[in-house]
Amino acid sequence: MSATDKNQLPDTAHTSADSTTHFGYQTIDKEDKVSMVAGVFHSVAKQYDIMNDLMSFGIHRLWKRFTIDASGVRPGNNVLDLAGGTGDLTAKFSQLVGKQGKVVLADINSSMLNVGRDKLRDKGLVQNIDYVQANAQYLPFEDNSFDIVTIAFGLRNVTDKDMALRSIYRVLKPGGRLLVLEFSKPEHELINKAYDFYSFNILPKIGELVAKDGDSYQYLAESIRMHPDQETLKTMLDNAGFEQTSFKNLTGGVVALHKGYKF
Amino acid sequence: MTAPFANIKKQLMFPQALAASLEIIINQVLSLGSANSSLEKLGQKTLTLTLAELGFPLSFTVTSDIGVNNKALLVSSLTERADCTINTSITTLRELQAKQQLTELIKQDKLDVTGDIKVAQKFANMAQNLDIDWQSELANHIGDVATHKLMQLGKTIAAKFNFAATQIQADASEYVVHEQRLVITKNQIEHFNQAVNDVSKDVMALEARIARLNKSSNN
Repeated sequence: MSATDKNQLPDTAHTSADSTTHFGYQTIDKEDKVSMVAGVFHSVAKQYDIMNDLMSFGIHRLWKRFTIDASGVRPGNNVLDLAGGTGDLTAKFSQLVGKQGKVVLADINSSMLNVGRDKLRDKGLVQNIDYVQANAQYLPFEDNSFDIVTIAFGLRNVTDKDMALRSIYRVLKPGGRLLVLEFSKPEHELINKAYDFYSFNILPKIGELVAKDGDSYQYLAESIRMHPDQETLKTMLDNAGFEQTSFKNLTGGVVALHKGYKF
Repeated sequence: MTAPFANIKKQLMFPQALAASLEIIINQVLSLGSANSSLEKLGQKTLTLTLAELGFPLSFTVTSDIGVNNKALLVSSLTERADCTINTSITTLRELQAKQQLTELIKQDKLDVTGDIKVAQKFANMAQNLDIDWQSELANHIGDVATHKLMQLGKTIAAKFNFAATQIQADASEYVVHEQRLVITKNQIEHFNQAVNDVSKDVMALEARIARLNKSSNN
C-alpha cells in the first residue's frame, strides 16, 4: 500500500467476530496471522535492538523506563514480560525483584527469545529469569501467578487481542497489574502528519538499509495504524475484567501506557 | 508550575531521562572506585530522594548482582520500594554535606526523613569513601603527558574563572551599592542599628526622667 492511500484504512468492524483479522492493512485469515507475524520477527530479530534505537532515536528506552516506574515493582515480585522480545524490560525487572523474585520472559517468536536470552546471559543476568515460548492468547501459566504483567510493543501483533487480555487477567494475582506499552494515536494533528510521513516514507527505508528488510518495517507502520487508539484499548481492558484502568500518553500520544488492575 | 507545562514535562519524560543519565554516570564512577564492599552491605536497599527543585522522586537501588555488567546501582522514579525516603532541597543537601548537621536540619524542617536512616547513612558513607584517582583514570585513556597538560589547563581555567567571578562580584557590588545606591553596606546597617539603639536608650532615659519629675511635682 502506498503512502497516498494509507489513510483509507480497511474496515475494522467486520474482522473481530469472523475468521479474518489484519496483517498491517491486509485482511487475512486469523490462522495465518501468527505465521506471518512470526516471519516478520524471525527476519528482524538480530537487528531488533539497533533498529529500535534508530527508529525511535533512543526514546524507546525512556518509554520502557516510564513503564518500569509505573509498575510499582517490589523485591520478591513475580513478573511476566510478555512479548518481551530482546528483554529490555526483563533486564531491569530482574535486578529490581532481586533473588527472591522471578521474571518470566515470554515471546511467541523463538528467534526473538533466543536473541533476548543471549543478550541477558551476556549481561550476566541469569539468576531469576525463566524463558518461555508462549502465545499471549493461551498463556501456559497457572491462574493467579504474577504480580505484574507487561506487554511492550507486542499487543498489536496478537491475533485476538481480547482473548490475550483475558488470558493475562487469568494469570495475574488479585491485586496484580497489567501494563500495556504500545504505539497509539498522536494527540495533535500536526504530530500525526509528521509521524505518518516518517512512518511510511523514512521508516521502511531505514529498515531496508539496516535490517535489509523494508517490508517488515512497512508492516510495522501499518500495524501501528491498525492498532486500537487509547480510549478503545482502555475499553478493551475494561471488557477483559480489569479495574481502575487508565492510560498515559507519552511523546504526544505516539506511545501510550495503559494500566489495569485485577482485584 | 502550570498544568500544561507539567504535562509537557511528563510527556518528555524528564524524570526518566535524568534517571537514565544519573544511572550511567554513577555506575561509571562506582566502577572506578572500590565501592563494592560498601554496596554489598547495602544489599538491594533503596534510598528515595525527593528534591523540592525537581518535584519528582529519584530512587537509588543497589542491585542483587553487583559487579555484573557494570551495573551496581539502578536509578528510577519508583517510590513503592523505598527503605528510606528523604524529602529536601538541593541547598539543604549541600549544607548536610558541609556541616554534618543532620539533626539541626530536621529540627528546622529542612529535611524530612522517613524509614531506616541507617540506609541513608550507608549511601552517604559510600559516596564519601569513594577514592578515585581521576588523573590516573584519565591517563589510562589519553596518556600521561596529555593528562598533565589537561590538568594544568584545567587549573589555569579554574583560576581564571575564580578571578573573573570575584571581579564580577566586586564590580557588581560597587555598581549597586555606591553608584546606584540600591542597597546599603553591612557597616551602614550596623551604624543605623547603633543609632537606633542610642535613640532608644535616650528615649528610655527621658521617659524615666519625666516619670521622676511627675512624681516629685505630685509630692
